[in-house]
Amino acid sequence: MSNHPEIRNIVSAEGVGKQVETTTGNLTILEGVTFDIQAGESVAVVGVSGSGKSTLLGLLAGLDLPTAGRIHLAGECLNDLDEDGRARLRGAKVGFVFQSFQLLPSLTALENVMLPLELAGIASAGQQASQLLERVGLQTRLSHYPRQLSGGEQQRVAIARAFAMSPAVLFADEPTGNLDALTGSRINELLFELNAEQGTTLILVTHDEKLAGRCQRQIRLDGGRVVADEA
Amino acid sequence: MKPDITHLRLAGRLLRRDWRAGELRILLSALIIAVTATTAISFFTDRLQRAMLSQSSELLGGDLMLQSPRPLDTTWLRQAESEGLESAEVLAFPSVVVSGEHLQLAGIKAVQDDYPLRGGLRIADTPFGEERTTDAIPGEGKVWVEARLLPLLEIDIGETLELGSLSLTVERVLTFEPGGGGNLVSLAPRVLINHDDVPRADILRPGSRVTYQYYFAGEEQAVQRYKKWLVPQLEPSHRLIDVREGRPSVGAALDRAEQYLGLASLIAVLLAGVAIAMGARRYSERHFDVAAVLRCLGAGQRDILALFLPQLLWLGLVGGVVGVVLGYLVQFGLFYLLRELLPATLPAPGLMPVLMGFLTGITVLAGFALPPVLRLREVPALRVLRRELAPMPLRGWLVYGVAIAAMAFLMWRYTGSAMLTLSVLGGAAVALLLLGMFALGLLRASRGLHRGVGVAWRYGLNNLWRRPMLSISQILGFGLTLMAMALIALVRGDLLSTWQTQLPEDAPNHFVVNVLPDNVEAFRGFMQARGIDGAELYPMVRGRLARVNGERLDERVSPDDERAGAVHRELNLTWSDSLPGDNTLVAGRWWLPGEAGQTVVSVESGVAERLKVELGDELTFTFGTGEITARVVSLRSVQWDSFRPNFFMIFPPGVLDPFPATYMTSFYLPMQEKGELAQMVREFPAVTVIDLDRIMEQVRRILAQVTLAVEYVLVFVLLAGFAVLYAALQASLDERLYEGALLRTLGASRSQLRAGHLAEYALLGALAGVLAAAGAELIAFILYKQVFHLAYSIKWPLWALLPLIGAVLIGAAGYWGTRRVVQRSPLVVLNNV
Repeated sequence: MSNHPEIRNIVSAEGVGKQVETTTGNLTILEGVTFDIQAGESVAVVGVSGSGKSTLLGLLAGLDLPTAGRIHLAGECLNDLDEDGRARLRGAKVGFVFQSFQLLPSLTALENVMLPLELAGIASAGQQASQLLERVGLQTRLSHYPRQLSGGEQQRVAIARAFAMSPAVLFADEPTGNLDALTGSRINELLFELNAEQGTTLILVTHDEKLAGRCQRQIRLDGGRVVADEA
Repeated sequence: MKPDITHLRLAGRLLRRDWRAGELRILLSALIIAVTATTAISFFTDRLQRAMLSQSSELLGGDLMLQSPRPLDTTWLRQAESEGLESAEVLAFPSVVVSGEHLQLAGIKAVQDDYPLRGGLRIADTPFGEERTTDAIPGEGKVWVEARLLPLLEIDIGETLELGSLSLTVERVLTFEPGGGGNLVSLAPRVLINHDDVPRADILRPGSRVTYQYYFAGEEQAVQRYKKWLVPQLEPSHRLIDVREGRPSVGAALDRAEQYLGLASLIAVLLAGVAIAMGARRYSERHFDVAAVLRCLGAGQRDILALFLPQLLWLGLVGGVVGVVLGYLVQFGLFYLLRELLPATLPAPGLMPVLMGFLTGITVLAGFALPPVLRLREVPALRVLRRELAPMPLRGWLVYGVAIAAMAFLMWRYTGSAMLTLSVLGGAAVALLLLGMFALGLLRASRGLHRGVGVAWRYGLNNLWRRPMLSISQILGFGLTLMAMALIALVRGDLLSTWQTQLPEDAPNHFVVNVLPDNVEAFRGFMQARGIDGAELYPMVRGRLARVNGERLDERVSPDDERAGAVHRELNLTWSDSLPGDNTLVAGRWWLPGEAGQTVVSVESGVAERLKVELGDELTFTFGTGEITARVVSLRSVQWDSFRPNFFMIFPPGVLDPFPATYMTSFYLPMQEKGELAQMVREFPAVTVIDLDRIMEQVRRILAQVTLAVEYVLVFVLLAGFAVLYAALQASLDERLYEGALLRTLGASRSQLRAGHLAEYALLGALAGVLAAAGAELIAFILYKQVFHLAYSIKWPLWALLPLIGAVLIGAAGYWGTRRVVQRSPLVVLNNV
């Protein structure tokens, strides 16, 4: 991996830009975004609505490709991987927590957490998943379907699922955006606790300044450009 | 990650859950309908074909029969033996039997213990007594005779008759013997004797007219191998008869029934396919989010397929099993409806239909459900952040191409002919296009209804016009089904009655054949004495058209060409010095009285067209004892439904003199005078009377059963139509729920919404009914005018009944299907959007 940045940089963006075609011409969403994130760091990407936060998250996690610049994730250049290659990398190194939870409605809480383990062919998926659910306080809800759970409970299932594969990087997109303040702060506690326990790199997108303040570093976006990057 | 047991388990879990949530119901129901319809028809045709074949073997007395004027070369029999075939030899010859002063020419058939190889002889203890089947044959010194011989010889059962130098006791009445009597003796009453009595009777001398009949039976493949070996060695005097030539006369009706049933089942499969495609599309779209999350969690495209394809396979398996079981049960219904036309015992169902059912299920799934499901592979992972991202829509050519390929494959399996499949598909495409345009016209015309209805109705009708393609396909689906049902009802109820009422009151209702030349004068006298007004007595000579201008007939016209089929059989030839009354000359000229005896012939114009025969061509006819070649000098059109004796070929008097002739005529006899027929048969025992009234009754019965069976299968087409309706409803359900919630929030009442739904579906049904009425009217018109040449009157009741039936049926189904739209609270619906 001689031409990769040093592995201590778990994520790095070099001059990343994203343009989309619209009926009125090209629209620039991100431009010249450059930074490195080291393993174990917790980083908040902040900015107003439309500043490009979620687009950046999608690019960093390999859900989409930039139109300019290069992105490295866990030592691999995302630009060089095809969609299936990026999926493999996500499966092995990345966890996600979304604002809208994104649980599979047709699977129980336990089955949802088992899913990434099963996709990776891990034999003890059931056992590991139930331990994780116990860790997030849902040991009595294993066989409940998402629609039978409250919003906070659903997000806890999602967090358990995100940590199931002990990911190197956890991406969280407005993880408490759909929750009331009290539930939200409990979820945040849980997220940071697990993050500390597993030594995961946490990259979260939020416009909640208080939540961002809990991270070691804040990257502020405005109009698709990095306007501040401070610890 | 590779597809493995984990994927299968996960796929199973997703499937179970989707099933419980009702996501797969429409897919599975449509699949079951398709498989049930196909399996039932396959079971039916498979068992029927095997039954017909074995019944034909019973009629023939073996699987193969060879007639020869001489004993067969022993190597031919040894070859049969080496193929493992059984064989039996029978002698058939004409001879005079005597009792006291009475002499009678009879057809003698001398049989051995092993005759017949298939089926059995049928006998009775007294003339017209109860018939039974037997394995036995007459013992030495015994004879079994046809009932009509007894009065001719003035003897009874138990008395004796003389054959050559033997005196034989009449033991039984023979009512049926497999294989017939050979061509020399078919008209004379049949007498069955033991083979061992032939030498003792001392009646066969060199030059005697004997037909040797050899029967063969065994494994079908061995029979076919033997036939293949035998055919190149046959001489012109040999005649080989295969079981397929011995099919009973209802065979043609059953053949047609099979074709219609097969076609109906294919339409059911096509409609079910449309429902499956719509169901699969909805299924796929509702799984975009799942696929996106899976991609996010590391699943590759192959993983996505490994998760979703097994679900389709499972579905195919379950649908296949249920469909095959239902199809098995449904075929009993078909056999019940057609019971009077079918043999009493049928072979047990085989495995082929089961395979056919599964094949249909998998093909329909692959053709209609696979493309939308494959789309799941393309769902972008980014959809987890931006829900509006969906995979590229499927290309039209892919969706339709795969579906058409699937249908073509199934049709080819059914017809066995690529040409026929292509032409049916092409014809269907053109017909669908035309009908689709008509449906679009109807839909456009119905927009006028928009004015002058309340808001609820307007909302409902708008729904119909907003999705024109969907509405058109449903109008087509239901319209075609209703049309087929209406047509069948018309054919059954109206066509035959119309035909009969259009016949003149005194149209002949009886034919008489086999009036012997010596009896012609006496027969004429018999008719005159009773005031029976009959047609001329026409001489009739049996002969075969062998060559046209020296070219063999089977090279000129394929024996499979149905329209030319008649000329491949033995023809009834006649002579006349004048043009028959209901014939019209269309080309050439009739012969003058002085031209009698010239070898010329007049040909019916229809048959001339089929054989591509023109004036001046030379036709060669063969007879049992010779042949003649005659030049075509005129073409005639014939009014076949005059019910007078009519002929394809007429010769001048004298040409056919060397050949044995009998006479025929036709006459009208009112019901109350049918008793005269018995007297006629008593006075002229050789004649055969054909009662058209009875045949008409039989035709009516056959038609009733066949049409009922086709309607039975059309029920599946209707069910498949409802599956399409339900799938369409499901596809638009989310939108309807949302609109319904909005409308209710804005103050619409439940009953207003329900009225809208009713209006939408009732109009859909009514439009389908109009399409059905127009289609049925058009096809009936063509049938009446072109095929049956009957006067046609517009069937007004169709135009009232079909739209009404459509509106009620489809209105009710749609009303029921949309009930959920008003059941959920608007708040819940709007919150979930």
